Amino acid sequence: MSAWARFRRNRLALLGLALVVVLALSAALAPWLAPHDPARQSLIEKRATPGGKYLLGADEFGRDILSRVIYGSRVALLVGLLSAAIAVLGGLLLGTVAGFTGGWLDAVLMRGIEILLAFPYLLLALAIVAALGPGALNTTIAVGIWGVPAVTRIVRGSVLALRETEYVGAARALGAPAPALLGRHILPNIIPGLIVYATLSFLGLGVQPPTASWGLMVSTGRDVLLIAPHVATVPGLAIMVAVLAFNLVGDGLRDALDPRLRGHA
Amino acid sequence: MLTFVVRRLLLAVPVLLGVVFVVMLTVDLLPGDAVALMLGEHATPDAVARLRDHLGLDKPFLVRYLDYVSRVARGDLGRSIQQNRPVAAELADAWPATLELTLAALLVAAVAGIAAGVASAVWPNSFFDAVARLGSLFGLSMPIFWTGLVLIVVFSLWLNWLPVGGAGSLAHLVLPAVTLALPSVAMVSRMTRSAVLDVLREDYVRTARAKGLGEVWVLGRHTLRNAFIPILTLLGLQSGQLMGGAVLTETVFAWPGLGRLMVKAIFARDYVLLQGAVLVFALAFVVVNLLVDLSYGLLDPRVGRQG
Amino acid sequence: MRSLGSRLLVGVLVLGLAAALVPAADAQKRGGTLTIVRPTDPVSLDPNLETTAPGAWVYFNMLEGLLTLDDKMQVKPALATSYEVMSPTKVRFKLRPNVRFHDGTPFNAEAVRFTFDRALKGSPPARWASLAGSLSHAEVVDNLTVDVVTKEPYGPILRTLAMYCMGIVSPTAVKKLGQDFSRAPVGTGPFKFVEWKTNTHVIIERNSDYWGDKALVDRIVFKVVPEEGARMIALQTGDADMVLFPSPAQLPALRKDAKFTVHETTGIRVVFAGLHAGLPPLDDVRVRQALLHAVDRKAILDNIMEGSAGPARGVLAPGVFGYKDMQLDTLYPFDRARARALLAQAGWTPGADGVMQKGGQRLSLSWLTARGRYPKDGEITEAIQAMFKEVGVEARVQVLEWAAVFQQVRGNPLNHHMFTLGWVTSNADADYSLYALFHSKQAPPAGWNTSRYANARIDTLVEQARRSLNQTEREKLYGEVQDILAREMVWIPVYTTKEIIAARAAVKGFQIHPVEYNLALWKTWLDR
Repeated sequence: MSAWARFRRNRLALLGLALVVVLALSAALAPWLAPHDPARQSLIEKRATPGGKYLLGADEFGRDILSRVIYGSRVALLVGLLSAAIAVLGGLLLGTVAGFTGGWLDAVLMRGIEILLAFPYLLLALAIVAALGPGALNTTIAVGIWGVPAVTRIVRGSVLALRETEYVGAARALGAPAPALLGRHILPNIIPGLIVYATLSFLGLGVQPPTASWGLMVSTGRDVLLIAPHVATVPGLAIMVAVLAFNLVGDGLRDALDPRLRGHA
Repeated sequence: MLTFVVRRLLLAVPVLLGVVFVVMLTVDLLPGDAVALMLGEHATPDAVARLRDHLGLDKPFLVRYLDYVSRVARGDLGRSIQQNRPVAAELADAWPATLELTLAALLVAAVAGIAAGVASAVWPNSFFDAVARLGSLFGLSMPIFWTGLVLIVVFSLWLNWLPVGGAGSLAHLVLPAVTLALPSVAMVSRMTRSAVLDVLREDYVRTARAKGLGEVWVLGRHTLRNAFIPILTLLGLQSGQLMGGAVLTETVFAWPGLGRLMVKAIFARDYVLLQGAVLVFALAFVVVNLLVDLSYGLLDPRVGRQG
Repeated sequence: MRSLGSRLLVGVLVLGLAAALVPAADAQKRGGTLTIVRPTDPVSLDPNLETTAPGAWVYFNMLEGLLTLDDKMQVKPALATSYEVMSPTKVRFKLRPNVRFHDGTPFNAEAVRFTFDRALKGSPPARWASLAGSLSHAEVVDNLTVDVVTKEPYGPILRTLAMYCMGIVSPTAVKKLGQDFSRAPVGTGPFKFVEWKTNTHVIIERNSDYWGDKALVDRIVFKVVPEEGARMIALQTGDADMVLFPSPAQLPALRKDAKFTVHETTGIRVVFAGLHAGLPPLDDVRVRQALLHAVDRKAILDNIMEGSAGPARGVLAPGVFGYKDMQLDTLYPFDRARARALLAQAGWTPGADGVMQKGGQRLSLSWLTARGRYPKDGEITEAIQAMFKEVGVEARVQVLEWAAVFQQVRGNPLNHHMFTLGWVTSNADADYSLYALFHSKQAPPAGWNTSRYANARIDTLVEQARRSLNQTEREKLYGEVQDILAREMVWIPVYTTKEIIAARAAVKGFQIHPVEYNLALWKTWLDR
């Protein structure tokens, strides 16, 4: 049975895929899908409850939350994919170099990785923002760089194992076709990347007003949690659903590609 | 083995030196000046200059770096710029809180994760299994700040069972520990489930079953012991994650630990305090990594030294 | 000299009367512990090292200065009983007898001299040294008489001495504790220090040897609770008796609830959007005025501040000596048509994308703000950004952390058109603000003229007013300064802070003060 057939049989994975498609469509078709201008303020209608004019309610400026969530998917997708790409590319490069050359270069690289791991990522993000300026793109770069150490270690481990020809599974991962690479390396890095970005925008870095960012929406909605819970809950759910979707797809891919796990499906 | 440990500990030194170097350099390069920030609206150039001079902040970077390193080697972590208090004292106040939180989260992750995982493996594809796996997926998908928010809304605001933030009692520890542990619980339970299932399929287990030995015996003696290796490794790796996640959890719950101290220090550009906190974290990381590698090497004889 | 003599007489009489007025005590209960929650821990409890609220709230109850500012913003005696202006640079104070520090040592002129020297000449130098203007030192005349000397004639001297951070410290304690004094200060106030657990709480207790009306509660615990929601919960459950910085959204409900009391009064901090008057196109006064017409200040006050702040009536807050209502609502009502007309006058016409343009340039302003440094600073910036869009002005907002914003605003040159800032007139004297904010030589980093505004007439006026000891004359001069500013408008004042404290109804006798640092707790008692 082919991998795709196995994937298809996994209902949860299909659900995840569907959600990812929804996310992508929402990002691509945002200007047509969003019922209102996401930046249009109407202070009088602040924190409007869901229903009627504002399907999912309005935020503290009277902006339509649904529209902002839809537009927010653009940032989320950009961040998720771009940061994952940076992390994987960086990690592949460093991990392969470290694994193949060995010796002192390997030791230096690994120490460097450990330094990066011990480094508070908030500081890293602030530094990058300071150097490059605030904004979604630069915060994404910060997120990507944050992901590099993890990928490096995995790749290095696989390379080393390959050299010792002990783990057939690892060899397969490196030599395997693209879907396996996708499942093994990239997807697992989208998820933490999204979460890290949401966290950073929760802390105030990331997109600049009036652009919508789910993490920031949750953060500002926190103050009115008691009286207008929808302001924080809706974007928070969006984050959760997006990450869940990628997780489901990732799991599905992993199960589909690795026959050993077949029995667990 | 001893040489391995010693070698790794020695290798840790350049890591620590490197971390301090990078942190110090980064703070220097960031816009914003600790002294001016402290003085706020009283920051006349004269006042700023006098205070910077008093605190020795005007010396060149390398001088300050070497000065710091030599003082740390003698056990002096310096004084916090904004608090004017010995960094060691600040750290001493804060690290027990972080340790408490991290250990509690690790405990929750281990207990809940292993229990859920084992149960899932023993009754695969049951309702419980489905719920547990779905729950894991949710656990992995929820960012810490989101989990924290949801828990606060449900348990503090609606049900009023638990306090919203701060520290002081066991009740204060529950929400932050659970929040921090959630992604780990998810990972541990998934890993446990697959590891246990793997072992249960092994031939010798089937043999034992065929011999008529009790289910409990099968489970206890062979299964868990062999499944334990990957689980332990994962737990070790998770400790690193937990320490990192503690920073955000402490911020959300106003938990007075090292993470929160670090965030405050970053925003105040108090690099002396920040370095102290980072050193403690880095040291903890190194130790945990070392333990993980050691246990990996010890418990699984199939794995050679990977240096 | 005649004016000096009559001033002496008036000074003595006023102080004497003021000292004699003791508020009648009603049926108060003694004892109990007052728990207060606030967002942050102090950095230090030593006024030399900490002038921000978290520390000031605490040490205001432990340390006293020569004079103090009451809740009606009048200068009142504290450790001094009378004063006499000896010369334009010297004021003589008679000190209160039989006062002791918490460590038992006597309060005297030597302690005053020591405190000032420590602050102005010590190492590290006091945080408030720049606040003190030309304050030079104190000279001991005799055990209970001290001369305060300034380097030049300094009009604001009395209000400066009445500031919350001018508390007199015990020389013995300072010498004994050294650096640890900043963690456990010793003064003469109605409360004395008990303990400070970092990032958790500070505890002070009643000083039963206090020279004046002794405190009514036994202990006060200041707890750190950074989350606004958590502070409000603590108030609801009774874990806290008083909340500093309560959540604005919950205030309407609290005001209606008999279990709670909301104490509020207009404060002395103005939050504004500063305009870089030296950077085109904001160097054109018509453009600046247009921006003012484009902002619906009332909508911001109603919907974003939600009653937690008062309207900004000018660049100063009411209650500050020298304040004049700049009539902003009359001069600059919210009027989009008027804004567009002014822009047109200045040569700006709508471009294809709706943004005004002139000679190929778009009217695009860069705007720096932090989030959370001042209440709703990020939010008012975003709201005004949207309002600007309606008149064709594009504002590119950059939200940075406070450290970065602070650095840039204080930097030279400033490459941004606008910035969101707040300013508090710490000594409640117009000199403190108008000089530092609008004198042409006070552009950063020397001072706080963040708008980089230069006007020779204003320079002359504020210099003159600083050196005059005639308060009536000073008031007139400051009035003229504010008239000029009303035409030039280098700020978009958004709101004046309100000091708001939410407390449980059992907390009685508390009087809120316009100056946020003056958290006076000795008349407070607990009805339970």
